[in-house]
Amino acid sequence: MDNLEDLKIVVEQWSNQGIEYLQKIPPFQLYAAIGVLLLTTILLLSFRLARRTNSNTVLLSGLTGSGKTVLFYQLRDGSSHQGTVTSMEPNEGTFVLHSENAKKGKIKPVHLVDVPGHSRLRPKLEEFLPQAAAIVFVVDALEFLPNCRAASEYLYDILTNANVVKKKIPVLLCCNKTDKLTAHTKEFIRKQMEKEIEKLRASRSAVSTADIANDFTIGIEGEVFSFSHCSNKVTIAETSGLNGDTIQVQDFIREYIKP
Amino acid sequence: MLEQLLIFTRGGLILWTCKEIGNALKGSPIDTLIRSCLLEERSGEVSFNYGAYTLKWTFHNDLGLVFVAVYQRILQLLYVDDLLCMVKESFSEVYDPKVMSYDEFDERFRQLRMEAEARGEEMRKVKVKVKPLNGVKKQGKVLKPEGGNKKESDGDGGDGGDEVKGNVSSLTNGNHKMEDDDDCVVNGKENSGGDDNNVGVDVSKLAKLRSKGVRGRGGLRKAESVGSNKGSSKVEPPKKATKKNRVWDDAAPKQQEKLDFTDSVDENGGNDSVEVAADQGESMMDKEEVLSSESESDDDEQRSDEKPEAKKKGWFSSVFQSITGKANLERTDLEPALKALKERLMTKNVAEEIAEKLCESVEASLEGKKLASFTRISSTVQGAMEEALIRILTPRRSIDIMRDVHAAKEQRRPYVVVFVGVNGVGKSTNLAKVAYWLQQHKVSVMMAACDTFRSGAVEQLRTHARRLQIPIFEKGYEKDPAVVAKEAIQEATRNGSDVVLVDTAGRMQDNEPLMRALSKLINLNKPDLVLFVGEALVGNDAVDQLSKFNQKLSDLSTSGNSRLIDGILLTKFDTIDDKVGAALSMVYISGAPVMFVGCGQSYTDLKQLNVKAIVKTLLK
Repeated sequence: MDNLEDLKIVVEQWSNQGIEYLQKIPPFQLYAAIGVLLLTTILLLSFRLARRTNSNTVLLSGLTGSGKTVLFYQLRDGSSHQGTVTSMEPNEGTFVLHSENAKKGKIKPVHLVDVPGHSRLRPKLEEFLPQAAAIVFVVDALEFLPNCRAASEYLYDILTNANVVKKKIPVLLCCNKTDKLTAHTKEFIRKQMEKEIEKLRASRSAVSTADIANDFTIGIEGEVFSFSHCSNKVTIAETSGLNGDTIQVQDFIREYIKP
Repeated sequence: MLEQLLIFTRGGLILWTCKEIGNALKGSPIDTLIRSCLLEERSGEVSFNYGAYTLKWTFHNDLGLVFVAVYQRILQLLYVDDLLCMVKESFSEVYDPKVMSYDEFDERFRQLRMEAEARGEEMRKVKVKVKPLNGVKKQGKVLKPEGGNKKESDGDGGDGGDEVKGNVSSLTNGNHKMEDDDDCVVNGKENSGGDDNNVGVDVSKLAKLRSKGVRGRGGLRKAESVGSNKGSSKVEPPKKATKKNRVWDDAAPKQQEKLDFTDSVDENGGNDSVEVAADQGESMMDKEEVLSSESESDDDEQRSDEKPEAKKKGWFSSVFQSITGKANLERTDLEPALKALKERLMTKNVAEEIAEKLCESVEASLEGKKLASFTRISSTVQGAMEEALIRILTPRRSIDIMRDVHAAKEQRRPYVVVFVGVNGVGKSTNLAKVAYWLQQHKVSVMMAACDTFRSGAVEQLRTHARRLQIPIFEKGYEKDPAVVAKEAIQEATRNGSDVVLVDTAGRMQDNEPLMRALSKLINLNKPDLVLFVGEALVGNDAVDQLSKFNQKLSDLSTSGNSRLIDGILLTKFDTIDDKVGAALSMVYISGAPVMFVGCGQSYTDLKQLNVKAIVKTLLK
């Protein structure tokens, strides 16, 4: 008890000294200092809020060879120029979508990022996920069945990523190369992916409570997985990169990045 | 003749292709080049072979462009490197990030190509003039039938043209094949002139040169010697099948027979002691790894303190450059930083040739790049190396074993894993750890004791099986491992086990008969996963082990597609503190991902490779 009272006395002495010191400073300086402090804190807070709500980044991801780079250039320039090869680095650009160039008025540009799909470059995706507002997952509808397992593993990793689950980032499952005759339909692809993800769910969440591979699990316990079970919205579309038929992707982008 | 020359960005967009030579390429050489060479950090190599083509490339790191030339492998175009450099220089003048098509470059390219071809011809002419005598003695060689190297070996005087060409190719002692169809066309004119001279010299100096010819023969012999090596290795006398027992002086001779102590007890672990299944808690495979929370900036400061010995002048200029940030990185700038990095990697137990190749690859990707402002050269090099290491250690395919096991279960067959490796690396111990982990995930496991050579190997596995309460298939000692494995798999199919873990005997990579036995086992049983078990303590020998294992498996395979090593199990990881380089050497040389890491001697000490932690430790 004595100690506490001693402490109280010491604290009071210090506070008296502090107040005396403050009263010595001319008021103008004091107000100026406080004003600057408030201003900086307000600015910092507003920047942080602004970055979170107004992110206009859309990620193009998918397996290697699915057509992401072609899609990127179609959205940007309206043509895929002379062709593409396997990307070694991401393609980034902030621009107004090509089809909207004709529209008058100030349209907000979209920051589009094409992340390479090669498995060795997978860590690059994690760099971009925190800033994403929407994700387009491109799937090759022509060579779908040989790559089905790898594609669904990739999609499963994205859907269980912490950023995606917490911010409920919407995902568009985009079936590319639909101009070819033997390409599968989007319904078929959707069913196959749901089946594969169901198997993955079963094999990965078998026993361990701390599954280091994935941050979260998706779907409802006891029911077969379906994309409607995801907390973030998952939709399906068909496109053709070579033909330039990308209208469904553009609608998706515009739905989440208001012009 | 060039088949194709491409210019594309690192992001994947093709900027320009040569439209004159519009041949469609067979297969997809460019994509394969990117996937198997450039992304595997082998961009320091000279060329890449794909099917009938050879590819050469160069980078413009500042603008992020890649220039690739494709030509037929049997041709031997000397001017390709030159051409690529010239194209690089002139294209970088024209390049604009916003422009997507460069049609006006066609004309420029045509000029450059003619220039380069002319220069190449000149070089060849010079070589021909300098050594006309050497070509003469080849007459004798041309007559000899050579292993498919020269088709038209008429050997008469009228073949003077061929001789000269052959001479040129033997001079450039390289890996190129000797057929020069292209040279025929180009050199036709000059040879007709030189022909008479050659024939004249021929007769008079033939004898003198035959005696001198030994040195020249070496060039052509190289191609033959490779073939003969293979032959000789197979002609080795087969080793004796059984070992004779060693007779010590004081041992009574009667005691030598009873060395095979296998009990004739039944195979399923005996009925004497019903042991409770070993349950030591969760395997570390399923636990999260707690990373150390050092911040990156601390490491930087520590490192900057450690380098006071740099010369004053060098330090000042590098500081100046780092502030202005305008300098283009040259090889001479990169060399000291890369050398220091290579030394650091080698102190972390990375094999020497792997460190060398990695440094070359990083150099190729940084040369010509502009330094960003306020960065030192060493930190740029460090960043590039870190990215390269992460890329190598990230697996190329999915390593989700549980998923594969479930897939095999649907097809109603067991998933077979074969553990191979040299002696004493920990195959049997880690096999038990993998069995424990699989059991925890409710997968039914069966062990197959195919180590029929080492004393006590079968008993060792039997003990593990008893403790884990899983069935074991064994046939005792001195049996053919391939047959034992086959029967084990049949047994597993019968009683519905999900996974079969096959233990093999340790063998040195140079031991020809044992490697042959191993490839027989793999060919006969077609396992789903060939797991190479390597210890983390190994140094430069890792490169030799893995490359020889892979080579033997591919050489001695009977069917079309040979099974190579599919995955690596790294053992004794707890014994090395931070000398984690063996993981890097093994992954680089074989391309197989590290699937498990053994970090202790009990059942739970099995975990997955944490790529970021390893890279951080390697570069600390």
